[in-house]
Amino acid sequence: MIRSSSSFVVAFTFTLAAAAAAAPSLEAWAKARIQANLLQPLAKKEESRSRFSRAAPPPTGRRVRVLASTLSRDAKGRGFLPYAIDARYGDDEWSETYVGCIYDKTGLLFVAVGDEHRPAEFLLGKKAEPVPGVCQVAPPAERS
Amino acid sequence: MRNSRVQLASRGFLLVMALGWVAIALASLEYFEPDSVAPFVVERLPVRFESLWLGALQWHVASAIVTFPLCLVLGTPWLQRRPVWHRSLGRVTGALVVAVLVPSGIVLSFEAKGGALVTVGFFLSAAVVLVAMVSGVASARRRDFLAHKRHMLHVTAQMSVAVTSRGLLRGFDMAGLEPEVAYTVALWIPVVASALAAEWLAGRRAFPSFAFTPSVPRSLS
Repeated sequence: MIRSSSSFVVAFTFTLAAAAAAAPSLEAWAKARIQANLLQPLAKKEESRSRFSRAAPPPTGRRVRVLASTLSRDAKGRGFLPYAIDARYGDDEWSETYVGCIYDKTGLLFVAVGDEHRPAEFLLGKKAEPVPGVCQVAPPAERS
Repeated sequence: MRNSRVQLASRGFLLVMALGWVAIALASLEYFEPDSVAPFVVERLPVRFESLWLGALQWHVASAIVTFPLCLVLGTPWLQRRPVWHRSLGRVTGALVVAVLVPSGIVLSFEAKGGALVTVGFFLSAAVVLVAMVSGVASARRRDFLAHKRHMLHVTAQMSVAVTSRGLLRGFDMAGLEPEVAYTVALWIPVVASALAAEWLAGRRAFPSFAFTPSVPRSLS
């Protein structure tokens, strides 16, 4: 009896470990989400941009860095991860061009524009007003 | 021989400017789409006095799209042979340049991409346009058509910076020049070169007005 229950515990532990290994980490999930929902559409939009614009030419490469592996909480208690997007032209060094955050569960993306954060669709050319309070870590006492 | 070369060059200039104007006008439509934000605006925000800046941008683009081709057409012999039309269109162009194009350009220059050096460049260009337009109108009223033509040549030359500057930007992009440096150089070279070219053309004994023909008496008064 004891032997069968201990084998059950071992098997259960293995199953949990395997499941944990198979599930993407929070960081990997955030990275994939930012790639799919922001960087790829941005690159696609830039392909069709007029070459006679005063806007800067599109960079030759972009990469995303997720800046934390654990969630931070905003004033409403919602969990988010901060991220940064780097860009480079030709063989130049990578330089940080945007920072923002991605919300756990909803996957909502925000980007910093000055001191404010707007929905990341703003980078894709959609009108988006700043959203107060997002991407800002609130002290534990303030969280609701 | 020399005159035909000058005529060819001025017609080439007119053609390049006309094509450039079409490209800029098409690229500028995105500034007026109600639910979207143009890449240039995305890049520039945040700015101080955002509403003022956005309004100035739209007014500036719209007035440039209207006044630049008008300046080109006003410089053609075809329109110069029609004084009534030339005068009427000239008044509309002058009013738009002085009341809309230059003031909105000055507002935009305070938040110019590339920093203080680019701000000064846009300021200089705006100052040349304003002084030349006002002086050009005054000289036309005095019937000093040579002076009028010289001043208007400066106005058109500075307005052509919109095309030449973008052309240089494309070239610098292909050459792999750093965008910030490219933006500054691509503004200053056309601003200075246009002023020098206008002055050089004005200094010629019979300078062309995009293949201009008859010599006009210095003063008819």
